Amino acid sequence: MRLDFTTPQRQSVTGIIVMFADTFQSIVRQFWVLLLVILFKLKEDQYLVVGLGFLGLVLLTLVIGYLKYRNFTFYLDEEKQEFVLRKGVISKSRISIQLSKIQQVDINQSIIQKIIGVYSLDIDTAGTDKKEISIRAIDQRLALLLKEKLLDYGNKDEEALDDNQEVIKESKTFLKISYNTLFKVGITSNYGRTIALLVTFVITLYQSFKDAINAFEIDEKEVDTVFERGAGFFSAGILIFGLLVLVLLINIVRIFIKHFDFVMIKQKQSLVITSGLFAKKNTLLNPDKVQITSYSQNYFQKKFRILDMNMKQASSDEVKEQKKKSNAIEVPGCNTEERDEILRIILGKIPQKGNQYRSNFRYLIFRTFSAVAFLTVILTLLHYAEIGNMDLYIPLVFVYLCLISSLIYFGYRNHALYVNQDFIIKRHGAWDVEHEIIEPHKIQAITAKQYFWHKSADVGHLILHTAAGDVDFRFGDYTHIKQLVNYWLYQVETSEKNWM
Amino acid sequence: MEFTNETIDINQLPKFEEVHFSPLNKNYIKVVYINIAIVLLIIAIGIGVLIYFNEDFQNTQTYLVFGISYAVFALILYFSSVMAVKRRAFALRDKDILYKRGLLSTTTTIMPFNRIQHVAMHEGAFSRIYKLAQIQIFTAGGNTSDVKISGIEKEKAESIKELLMQKIQNHI
Repeated sequence: MRLDFTTPQRQSVTGIIVMFADTFQSIVRQFWVLLLVILFKLKEDQYLVVGLGFLGLVLLTLVIGYLKYRNFTFYLDEEKQEFVLRKGVISKSRISIQLSKIQQVDINQSIIQKIIGVYSLDIDTAGTDKKEISIRAIDQRLALLLKEKLLDYGNKDEEALDDNQEVIKESKTFLKISYNTLFKVGITSNYGRTIALLVTFVITLYQSFKDAINAFEIDEKEVDTVFERGAGFFSAGILIFGLLVLVLLINIVRIFIKHFDFVMIKQKQSLVITSGLFAKKNTLLNPDKVQITSYSQNYFQKKFRILDMNMKQASSDEVKEQKKKSNAIEVPGCNTEERDEILRIILGKIPQKGNQYRSNFRYLIFRTFSAVAFLTVILTLLHYAEIGNMDLYIPLVFVYLCLISSLIYFGYRNHALYVNQDFIIKRHGAWDVEHEIIEPHKIQAITAKQYFWHKSADVGHLILHTAAGDVDFRFGDYTHIKQLVNYWLYQVETSEKNWM
Repeated sequence: MEFTNETIDINQLPKFEEVHFSPLNKNYIKVVYINIAIVLLIIAIGIGVLIYFNEDFQNTQTYLVFGISYAVFALILYFSSVMAVKRRAFALRDKDILYKRGLLSTTTTIMPFNRIQHVAMHEGAFSRIYKLAQIQIFTAGGNTSDVKISGIEKEKAESIKELLMQKIQNHI
């Protein structure tokens, strides 16, 4: 295959198989109910008909896969600085993307693609539907080259691009995460998320267990006594210990699957990140397109000297609504020097904390009030539902109050905004203390808000809207907030810098 | 190259809180009245149907409960809507657009022109009667920061849209 992207070209020939698999998968996904019904209602004399039908379906899918492959072409229009993609069998579409709008280019590999030895290349832009722009079968060398080309639109220096070797030589690995570090990350991070997952899992399990009991008409009383006896045997301590071990195990496994072989390479001005155990993920990160950079650390991570970093990029609305963090690139378990190195690449320099702004004590009142209100609602509900003896809940209420009050206290202590000429840094979090760093010229809009009962106390809220989500600072001194808003507006409106 | 780098006195910067805001068109409140009336009518029909088909509800006590809660709801809806509309205002400055609203709070959103992505103008069925339009301004900040300003005279809305489009063009 030529290495010239200016003429329309097709995917790898093996792409037919990927196309076939994709089409087949989508057909099965759409008609699985029908297929199941057919399978179950099958009588012996109908085997032949159904078998032939299935064969026909496979053949048809193959033809569709082939046509999809035939009609799928892409090329780079260098004059217009566009990447053009044509596809479709019956309804044809032509998608062109301005190279400057490209946010990110991902090279991924699913299991089918791994077997055939091809990769998929997905182009992410701000605004358009993400799935539209995906090349499903492309060999690795070509993928890397195309990625280079797509992200290198500004650079007219083409020499380096003709020779793939040179591109690779130029880049240097500067961050590699060892198994040891991944293990440390696994045992120290994401407790909240894992516990929530576990709780949902246990609840669904319990539900389906009950359903099963109902279905098999087992005497419920008997089961209940079994439950009670079980609860007697397992003391609460062992249960909690078991839960903790489970949480840690799940965490470690998850971290290993996601971040296995994490390597970060500096390539010209960008960062290339590869990681993943089953599906290798290759992401290119352009520093200009990062909107919010953040790093977080909890008590244990501090002891282990590791940090979690997140780079949030601009995302389209649909993506934002579905999952908040989908467009964030995570660097687990780097140390302080590595963090500073990454910050220097992304932000140009290591951000210093400027003037500190703290929240008013009303923050504490508000949080306490909501926590107590939540407790009251739950208790009232339990009371009316008449689940068990209310006395049983007293130790739980005590634990909740201890936990929530320390969370509120530490949350308040860590809640602060640091502002200087170049950076806005927001520190927050009770357990995982996160620093979110924004450059003023990446602000899209600002909202200032004050409730009328806060007027006399001169307290108000601030929300900074960026293309990667909002950052808010609540219960601040409103005079200061107004001053800051005016200052940032001045910065945004006079800045010549592009926000992406 | 001429390079200047003067110190900025933060207190000398233009203050967004001292900008003179212009309220929505007076006729817009009529559009709001119509909307309230429609909502109330639909709810009334719903309650009516519920009572008509449910013989358990056909007694004085239920009538009283429904009647009072309906009246209270109608009053709250009316006063909160009217208040909310009165508190909405917008302002255009040289380099940004401001929108102020909120019933219990005073919320001001400021969008610099050089960050606006797209401007849309909508005309509702009832707004059209009074020659009013709504302007919707999009930034890359997502739905939380997108602003909809209703109740602007259509001609004014059009000229604001023109102005914004022009400002956007200048930046590209």
